[in-house]
Amino acid sequence: MYACIHTAAANPADRADDPASRIHADDPAGRIFDLALQFSPAIEQTSPDTVVFSIAELGRLLGPLHQIASEICRAGHERNVEANLALAANVDTAILLARHVPGVTIAMPGQERAHLESIPLRQLPTLPHLLELLQRWGLKTCGDLALLPENGVAERLGPEGIYLRNLARGTIVRPLRRDAMPTNYAERMDLEHPLELLEPLLFLLGRALGELCRRLRSQSQAARVVEVKLELVEGSYSCNLEFPVPLQEKQSILKLLQLHLECHPPPAPVMAFTLRMEPAAPRRVQGGLFRPPVPAPDKLQITLARIAGMVGKENAGAPVLLDTHRPDAFALAQLNLQPAAPETRERPAALRLAFRVFRPAPRARVKLAHAAPSTVYAAGVQGSVVRAAGPWKTSGEWWDQASFWNREEWDVALDDGALYRIYLDLHTREWYVQGVYD
Amino acid sequence: MANTSALSRYNELWPPASTLSFRQQTRFAPLPLPALARLWPNGLPRGTLCEIHGPRSSGRTAACLHILAQATERGEICAVVDANDAFDPAAAAAAGVKLERLLWVRCRGNLEHTMRAADLLLHAGGFGMVALDLCEVNPRLLNRIPLSYWHRFRRTVEHTPTVLLLCSDRPQSKSSNFNKLALKVKVFHWYGLRLHGLSMNAAMENVRGEPLEIKMAA
Repeated sequence: MYACIHTAAANPADRADDPASRIHADDPAGRIFDLALQFSPAIEQTSPDTVVFSIAELGRLLGPLHQIASEICRAGHERNVEANLALAANVDTAILLARHVPGVTIAMPGQERAHLESIPLRQLPTLPHLLELLQRWGLKTCGDLALLPENGVAERLGPEGIYLRNLARGTIVRPLRRDAMPTNYAERMDLEHPLELLEPLLFLLGRALGELCRRLRSQSQAARVVEVKLELVEGSYSCNLEFPVPLQEKQSILKLLQLHLECHPPPAPVMAFTLRMEPAAPRRVQGGLFRPPVPAPDKLQITLARIAGMVGKENAGAPVLLDTHRPDAFALAQLNLQPAAPETRERPAALRLAFRVFRPAPRARVKLAHAAPSTVYAAGVQGSVVRAAGPWKTSGEWWDQASFWNREEWDVALDDGALYRIYLDLHTREWYVQGVYD
Repeated sequence: MANTSALSRYNELWPPASTLSFRQQTRFAPLPLPALARLWPNGLPRGTLCEIHGPRSSGRTAACLHILAQATERGEICAVVDANDAFDPAAAAAAGVKLERLLWVRCRGNLEHTMRAADLLLHAGGFGMVALDLCEVNPRLLNRIPLSYWHRFRRTVEHTPTVLLLCSDRPQSKSSNFNKLALKVKVFHWYGLRLHGLSMNAAMENVRGEPLEIKMAA
């Protein structure tokens, strides 16, 4: 069951009809919300002058419907609220009755149609051309519209007509459209004694994170950024954790925070901390039956943070080729976790020889014979040249001293049975082994 | 009576080795490339450890990259744990690997980090293929890896869709692998001053038969 309160100020004509059966108020738009809040936390503010709220649980507390209506009237009188009140089994019927029937109306379940039949059709929320059509058919009230057969209305007026007919019969059932309350995603904690160790600090951070994650989940949100500000005995410390995929789970965020603080510990004991989260819409991905599974984002983030803590953040990621001809030019970016549809190639690529890079390229001593390498000596690479191909000259980025290169490359097959790429740096006149074909 | 129930409970907890158990049907990651399809007719078995080994220029890296290319084209997320920082993104892209779906962990010669990173990735789950590149690692260090590590890896990927692909100079995983492919360079083909390709011998060590000759373009 739902109760709807509609302020009289919005409907002065009705107020003139029956001033005695009205709940009195000075500021109708502002106070009816407080009045509704006194009876239920589930409130829909349909318009500034209309609120609907659930009274489903009030029966056990206050008694039957007329008792509930009388309690609402009494509370409204105390608050000086002047409004119409309607109680009905569904939201839309309660709104229609409160707006267009003066005083207090109680529509018992199954009697909605009888209460609505006197309401003029022009009061229904409908399109002008549809209203004009209904009036040309000779229909004037909700009762007239409710008598029409469903199939005939559907054939002639479509879904809009069916909606109006159901509205006139009081049979539309929908949940309350509640506005999201503004939420503060920040928690602060002042400590009695300064904390030196990470473990007790993480325990307290975990408690604050649990509260913040509860708020996030209640609003169907997830954390994209977690900002931690530590007030130290001397100075302050702050860190921002930005997640590629928004997270909702306390354990995942706490683990990432722990890994970050272990790598970058605060320089002094902690006196207080503030945790703030930046909310974002959680990642919702519909996996396909024929799409391959991908790693769970929260688990993968923890794994990547652990690996990054071990090998360094710059040493783990998805490789990206840079738009340059400079040899071995790449960068590392974040891994793309979006599930992708399988790509089908008509003809798979042929097996081609790959290349392994020696990083850093070892310096080599190369003997030349007839202007071609004859022997190569380097760390881990040495032997006589069986066959050589080259030189292949490459150069570029002459405008930048840091990345400028100018070299002669040779492909050499040594007598150890392997094929290497060596190059002569024309700037320094030094030979290097770039890598091995494999 | 009490002895019978105790015996049945004992058998439940520690079934005898002679007990027949239902083995799950093996799923395979298809390999449409003809050269590799001759070696793995059904594809790479998922949930297993497969090893490719061979000396320098034997085509082991090329084989690994092409297997990774097939996996990333299917939309799978793959990972390369690179012990010696020798992975070449340009060569991988040329082989058809979708780099945006590939996680590259550069361990810069630290074998302990390599094994730990591989362990973490396998336990994270969800990867289609994890390639562990141990090529060019000092044999003395490799010999120090306990056999139990490979057994642990094998047990971790078991019953998962992940394929653990091990690439190395010499066989490492001993009995923990499902397939062991040995590659050996046969001859380089030169066309004038340019390298045209190479022929290599490929042999499955767990399977009887003559080595196959595979040609690879440069």
